[in-house]
Amino acid sequence: MRKFTRLAGLATAALLATTAIAGAKTVCYVTAADSHAYATPANEALAAKAAELGLEVLSLSQNFDVQTGTEQLNTCIARKADAIILWPLDPQAYIPGLARAQQAGIPSILINSPMADEVKPFIKSFTGPDVYEEGEMAAVALNEVLGGKGKIVIIAGQAGNGTTLGRVGGFVDKLKELGSGIEILDTVNADFDQQKALVASRDLITRFGDQIEGVYANDDTMARGFIDAWKEARGDAPVPPTVGINGQRDAFDSIRSGEMYSTIVQSPKLDGELAIETVAKILNGEEVGERLPIPLTVVTKANVDQVEPAF
Amino acid sequence: MFATLMRYRVPAILALTLIIASLLVPDFATLTTLALGLDRSSAIGLVAVGLTVLLIAGQIDLSVGSVFAVSGIVAVMLQPSLGLLVSSIVGVLAGSLAGAINGFIVVRIGINSLVTTLATMLVFRSIAHWLTDSQPIPGTNILFSIQMSHIYAGLFTLRSALFLAAIVGLHLWLTRTVAGRYLFAVGSSRAAADASGIAAQRYLFGSFVFASTLAGAAGVLQSLTTNTGSPVYGSELTVAVIAAVVVGGTRLEGGIGSALGTLGGVLVIAALTTAMEFSSVPAYYQQVVSGVILILLIVLDRLFQGNGRVRGRSDAARLKGFQWRRS
Repeated sequence: MRKFTRLAGLATAALLATTAIAGAKTVCYVTAADSHAYATPANEALAAKAAELGLEVLSLSQNFDVQTGTEQLNTCIARKADAIILWPLDPQAYIPGLARAQQAGIPSILINSPMADEVKPFIKSFTGPDVYEEGEMAAVALNEVLGGKGKIVIIAGQAGNGTTLGRVGGFVDKLKELGSGIEILDTVNADFDQQKALVASRDLITRFGDQIEGVYANDDTMARGFIDAWKEARGDAPVPPTVGINGQRDAFDSIRSGEMYSTIVQSPKLDGELAIETVAKILNGEEVGERLPIPLTVVTKANVDQVEPAF
Repeated sequence: MFATLMRYRVPAILALTLIIASLLVPDFATLTTLALGLDRSSAIGLVAVGLTVLLIAGQIDLSVGSVFAVSGIVAVMLQPSLGLLVSSIVGVLAGSLAGAINGFIVVRIGINSLVTTLATMLVFRSIAHWLTDSQPIPGTNILFSIQMSHIYAGLFTLRSALFLAAIVGLHLWLTRTVAGRYLFAVGSSRAAADASGIAAQRYLFGSFVFASTLAGAAGVLQSLTTNTGSPVYGSELTVAVIAAVVVGGTRLEGGIGSALGTLGGVLVIAALTTAMEFSSVPAYYQQVVSGVILILLIVLDRLFQGNGRVRGRSDAARLKGFQWRRS
């Protein structure tokens, strides 16, 4: 019977995945996504470091769906994990799940994205880039290249996501603080997705056309989306100064060729490694800091050849 | 033997999944897993209860995921001014209103329900973004959220108890009441139902309101549990819910379906997901496996229904003496 062979296949896969678990401590890792330019290398670095530290990782992917993530926290608890690493996509929604983990005696930390302050009693630490600071750094860069004035568009990440809130918030606040004359024409959400950014940018270019004098994208993949849309519509006309974040390899190429103005290097490798190292310390009974940031560097044409791309 | 197995395919797959998972995955076969599994299926489950009624009536509602978000947002936004209970009720009523809009367009104006709810799905989702400025809104009472996650009697959260109660209620209504049987008649053939004096329009309109009200209730419960009203909630929900209902043997064409089938469908999907998560199967493989099993179950359903006696339909048919076309 076919369904038996199918299920037998599934069963074998499950068996292979679980045989290794016995003995080692299990860390439940609720990640943002399996296949994503930034998340994938972070996940891989985390897994590699875990193997080095002798920890078993139970990896669950939310595929950018908050509701899935809140349910996966339940799986971590039922699975009696020894610790939880959560990549939050919402500032509030995971709090009851984290509280339940705490009741079950499972320590939790956050990786990469921040949550609301109410989460603090329920987590041991938050490791990852300071996304608010990244927003501020992007504001300084764009303000500089535009000479403190001009009209721009913001291509933001996923609505409500902590990284998006931080990167947009830091940017807007910093412009205000600098007393910049930069005016924001519109802010659109493109979910950190190149394709969605391409579609959204086509609309922006149709609506505002030459009014767009600068672009701030919440990550480099979305900056790429804007650049592609611009080339489609305007051919060889120079792209308005575009500022991205993440520091990926093709953004470095775009900076060299002048299509993009700047990016901010934030290493997914360090991001993943820091999280699992922090958890290892917690499991060894060591004290850890409540906020552990990873280093950030602004990259423009001036230093593009001296800095390593993040991924 | 084969026919029996086919007839009980949903419980059979459910049992198989559970047995294999408990043999292979340590700590799977525990009450905690069951309790948490029930809790996670209750959001899908409550929406599925409403959709079962609508599918039996021969209609569909794609907007349930958006209604789920809007109701939760309305409830959370009103919490500061109206308090927890009243704001939650208003949130559920917002769901009912959405259902009335769907029902009005489909029943009164006569637009196909797939097209109508495809449109309202987009409209309601946009309303969710517009109301919240695309930001999640925090609720006022995080302690209540933690209370909502509490497991009572080692097995039930408030949400999962409500879901099971809704299944029992629906089962009784569909099998023990005249109105329930009329619903099957309306779904099988609206013209025949009309001709025999059943107020088909009222049943259809009521089904839309019922489905959206339950989607609204599920959305409000989700927002209470997570202390957040979010415009992105429920965006992955509709497909899972329709899958659960259809796996449970309810037909998209109308006239066939059952509450216990839907319970089975919801549990199968929850058990598969949980078992695969327990063994850290990547999300994209999970979707392939779920998809294959869904197709398998639906094909089995067709084979069985094609050869055998048509259940559900026949009762209603006898009641009114209809002559049914064979599907």
